[in-house]
Amino acid sequence: MSVAVHQMRASYAFVERNINIVKRYWAWEVVWLTYSVVNSLSVSYIGFGMEKLGGQGVDSRFLVLYLAIGTIVWRYLSAVFYWVTDLIGIERWEGTIEYTLMAPIQRITHMLGQTAFAVVYSLLHTGVILAATVFFFDIRLTNANLWGGTLVLIAGSFSFIGISIVGAVLPLLFPERGSQMTHVIIALLLLVSGVYYPVEVLPGWLQALSRLSPATYVLEGVRATLLDGAATLTLWPYIWPLLLIGTLTIPVGLRVFRAAELYAKRAGKLARNG
Amino acid sequence: MISAIQVSNLSKTFVVPEREAGLKAAVKSLVRRKTKEVKAVEKISFEIAPGEVVGFLGPNGAGKTTTLKMLSGLLYPTAGEVSVLGHMPSRREKSFLRQITLVMGQRNQLVWDIPAMDSFELNRAIYRIPVEEYRRTRDEFIELLEMKDLVRKPVRNLSLGERMKVEIAAALLHRPQVLFLDEPTIGLDVTMQRRIRTFIGEYNRRHGATVLLSSHYMADVVALCRRVIVIHHGKILFDGDLNSLVGRFSAYKTIGVTLTNGTVDLAAYGDVIERDTTRVTLRVTKAETPKVTARLLADLPIADLTVEDPPIEDVIELVFAQEKPQ
Repeated sequence: MSVAVHQMRASYAFVERNINIVKRYWAWEVVWLTYSVVNSLSVSYIGFGMEKLGGQGVDSRFLVLYLAIGTIVWRYLSAVFYWVTDLIGIERWEGTIEYTLMAPIQRITHMLGQTAFAVVYSLLHTGVILAATVFFFDIRLTNANLWGGTLVLIAGSFSFIGISIVGAVLPLLFPERGSQMTHVIIALLLLVSGVYYPVEVLPGWLQALSRLSPATYVLEGVRATLLDGAATLTLWPYIWPLLLIGTLTIPVGLRVFRAAELYAKRAGKLARNG
Repeated sequence: MISAIQVSNLSKTFVVPEREAGLKAAVKSLVRRKTKEVKAVEKISFEIAPGEVVGFLGPNGAGKTTTLKMLSGLLYPTAGEVSVLGHMPSRREKSFLRQITLVMGQRNQLVWDIPAMDSFELNRAIYRIPVEEYRRTRDEFIELLEMKDLVRKPVRNLSLGERMKVEIAAALLHRPQVLFLDEPTIGLDVTMQRRIRTFIGEYNRRHGATVLLSSHYMADVVALCRRVIVIHHGKILFDGDLNSLVGRFSAYKTIGVTLTNGTVDLAAYGDVIERDTTRVTLRVTKAETPKVTARLLADLPIADLTVEDPPIEDVIELVFAQEKPQ
């Protein structure tokens, strides 16, 4: 049997393991999903709030949809980010890090399984939030290009993988609080990517940074498909930067991770103690 | 014969931060961090033949776990050379990793939150074990370790002994040729210790596996290992036959005497180290043992007399106390 088939099987085994872990923490999943839905609804209500606060000529329904897309897309991208960065965090939590890093598989096999699970999990998680938001605000998506939006989201996942792999280095290098340190990356992306506002409101230097954030293109692309009903064929200007960012950052992420793994093995940082 | 494990001048030095107690020192360490070098392992050398079971002894912090981690590729040596089955462990070659296993009694490779059977499946995929072989091995281990009811429960619900049984089974599913066992029986009750050690012995016999066993329980070592390597402060103090360890480091023997008419004062024959209503235990030098034994038999109404080496734990303590590397 070919090496590729074996590696795919091993990747799938990690997907299966993560499914088992999620199933085990089902109560947490319910809580997290509820929190995510409520959070998205709260942010979307700002749209109605703007009208009430004296906004003249504010199209509150447009604003609600604008914010809802922002929060839903952000939930999706951050879910992908956190699951991929959890590559090491999950091993630390379960106490299996030394064994997993000693296993006879390529690191990319491990990452592939974690990433595949991250994308599927995040799509399902976000789907529920989207359904709840659409139902709650009676949003009509009749003119929206849902397939186009999904395509941009998937391209966005690809672009986030490299960044997330770099993020996964933090729990590897910092046995204590390394997982929490990954928040700084997601916070910076949140600031510059125009999740809740157009990036044009940012100072010039932050606007320049926003062009480096894949989330900017995902949000612009999804908004174009859901707010304006942009056709799939017109989405290329949003998709190619995402593919480019992914193509550049994934190899960089893998190299950084490899170097960090070597360092951790030299410095004895795999285990928190002993 | 080509050695399964070859270690030559292996060293590992860690750089660890250190500071005084108190707020002032804490703030100071933010600007100027003090570190010190800790030599966990220092120029150790040994060879282990294929199929050999060797005990790896030493007190806490002696460098046992660090050595085992370097032998399995989890830690990179600072200096020296290691070869396990012809591979350099730090290269992480898959053909090497598929032939070894490392069991750490104080760590876990099984995911706590899911049943062991699910983690077994993960190992099957990782180690590329053919389905039929996997089932045969798994079922064999389930039977040998009597863990039919354990493998379907989440690992966190198992007792320490039960967890160790499934951990060992998981570690051996791919039938490794070299076993690095780091205190596999730690914290287990006597029955469970015996079961685990019988299983390891059986695995060694059936598969001709090479075993390097670290344990604080001398019963494990005595039952499984003819040869021991004693390490202390990162240096090897002794490498050889377990019996010769006793011969070399213990200058005394103990003589247990049971008299037919109760106890009398036997201080004239040697150091009395234990006494109860019918039995006295004496410590005498090895050279004097035959003479004292003869005198006891001639002078007193003996119901029972035994001559023994001191307990292996005591001998090991003596080795640590001497601390002169060979």
